[in-house]
Amino acid sequence: MRLLFLLKEGIAGFKRARLAATISIATITLSLSLIGMFALLVHHLSAQFQQTYGRIQLEVFIDPAIDSAQRQALEGRIQQLAAVEAVQYVSPEMTLQRFQQDFGDDLLTVLEGENPFPPSLQVILKKEYAELEKVEAAVEAIRALPQVDEVIFQEKFIRLINRYFFIGLIVATTIGATIFFISTMLIFNTIRLTIHSRKTVIEIMRLVGATHFFIKAPFVIEGLLQGLIGSLLASGALWLMSDLLRAFFLPGLTIPWMYFLFLCGTGILLGLLGSYFSIGKYLKF
Amino acid sequence: MIELFNISIQLGKRQVLEQVSLKINKGEFVYLIGQTGSGKTTLLRLIYMDVFPDRGNVIVDSYSSSTILPRHVPFLRRKVGVIFQDFKLLPDRNVYDNIAFALQVIGAPQRTIKSRVLSVLTRVGLHHKRYQMPQRLSGGEQQRVAIARALVNKPFILLADEPTGNLDPQVARDILHLLENINRSGTAILMATHNYDLIRQYPHRTLVLENGNFSREINPEELA
Ligand SMILES: Nc1ncnc2c1ncn2[C@@H]1O[C@H](COP(=O)(O)OP(=O)(O)OP(=O)(O)O)[C@@H](O)[C@H]1O
Ligand SMILES: [Mg+2]
Repeated sequence: MRLLFLLKEGIAGFKRARLAATISIATITLSLSLIGMFALLVHHLSAQFQQTYGRIQLEVFIDPAIDSAQRQALEGRIQQLAAVEAVQYVSPEMTLQRFQQDFGDDLLTVLEGENPFPPSLQVILKKEYAELEKVEAAVEAIRALPQVDEVIFQEKFIRLINRYFFIGLIVATTIGATIFFISTMLIFNTIRLTIHSRKTVIEIMRLVGATHFFIKAPFVIEGLLQGLIGSLLASGALWLMSDLLRAFFLPGLTIPWMYFLFLCGTGILLGLLGSYFSIGKYLKF
Repeated sequence: MIELFNISIQLGKRQVLEQVSLKINKGEFVYLIGQTGSGKTTLLRLIYMDVFPDRGNVIVDSYSSSTILPRHVPFLRRKVGVIFQDFKLLPDRNVYDNIAFALQVIGAPQRTIKSRVLSVLTRVGLHHKRYQMPQRLSGGEQQRVAIARALVNKPFILLADEPTGNLDPQVARDILHLLENINRSGTAILMATHNYDLIRQYPHRTLVLENGNFSREINPEELA
């Protein structure tokens, strides 16, 4: 019975302060959509980045005198290293072909029919080994193998990528935290306004002897509902946006369902805490 | 009943009351007068424990301001009705719901709510207007609704802070008539007012607040 009354009051609060409730919900929807979009973009871009740059590739030049059995044994030993994801043999002919594609048939004329390229192995490292020290360790291990002449990797490039990724991560986190902070403040403030617009009701409840629980409950329920509605709307908006982005700009964009769970959880929590703390101001005794 | 012992209270920078003592007995009708800013409202707030004294002690029924726990304050307020100059009705509920609200928010069962609200409405003479919205009522009727709301939980005292301040003389007299009626059925009344005419027409024990203290208790005929 009491619970029913509190629920009814909480829901009726919507109708009584329709404008304030609408503003609260709109604020929550906008803020959460923004947070969701930003998180989704960062997530997508960093995944793309890892996909493109996360796999370091090494060129391992080997002794041209090597025979195919020895070569396969070497490939096997490299493959066994923890850092290595894949090894592929690149014959001198394949290298020549690649150069020919890049530089045209003139190259053959310059080389006068000779093939100057040594045989090599293309080694791809696992994603987790994309840091410079780990790459260097892997390079050392490969260099130490017999019949390996030289190992080439793009040290500068790795350094750069590592640094930019790190900077990007910091910038994204800062922006994300700022958006989150501002949104929280905004949501708390609109909820505070909603509650302020009903301070007469609160005052009357105090005067007639309602307990703090009874005074708070309808507002907290109302805040919770606002959070829930706002976050459902934000989830819908995010889903639509991601659909549009996928269609026009980012074909590979996927949106993990955890995002919707996170949005709803955040919305409900903000609505709940916002109203709980705002109401506290009107309840000294 | 209600007793104030050597109350001193400061609000903001102002020492509002200084060493005030006062006793109100069961079923009494008492007026509280004094110039504006003399601390009448503050004294009433002390009784329903909206503010607490810096020194001294307020006793209300079995509660004492110096020992009461914050979570017990709502239970004290259920025994003390309060009405104001500005009625403080909820504009978005009808008369019945305004009064029922006072019982709903203390978790009273539905059955008692209905019978109590209807009986108190009859008592203030507004049974026939129970489905009206407050804006559609006259000032006097609105104050009656406020009185009904204050009484619906059967308090032993009704605190009235200038209840006739917004009302025409004739309407004010009607309200006083109602308050006397209520008083006769056993509810004590403490009423802060500026309206000396009313006091002369309906004389009761009258306390004067001056300089933050009770200077005297006067005979209503003395009022200029
Ligand atoms: N919260 C507060 N902070 C600072 N000063 C206050 C506060 N509340 C009241 N006062 C001051 O305390 C004094 C007494 O106020 P109170 O409202 O009790 O007077 P009153 O006798 O009811 O006056 P009135 O007849 O105008 O209603 C006034 O000077 C008022 O300005
Ligand atoms: Mg006053």
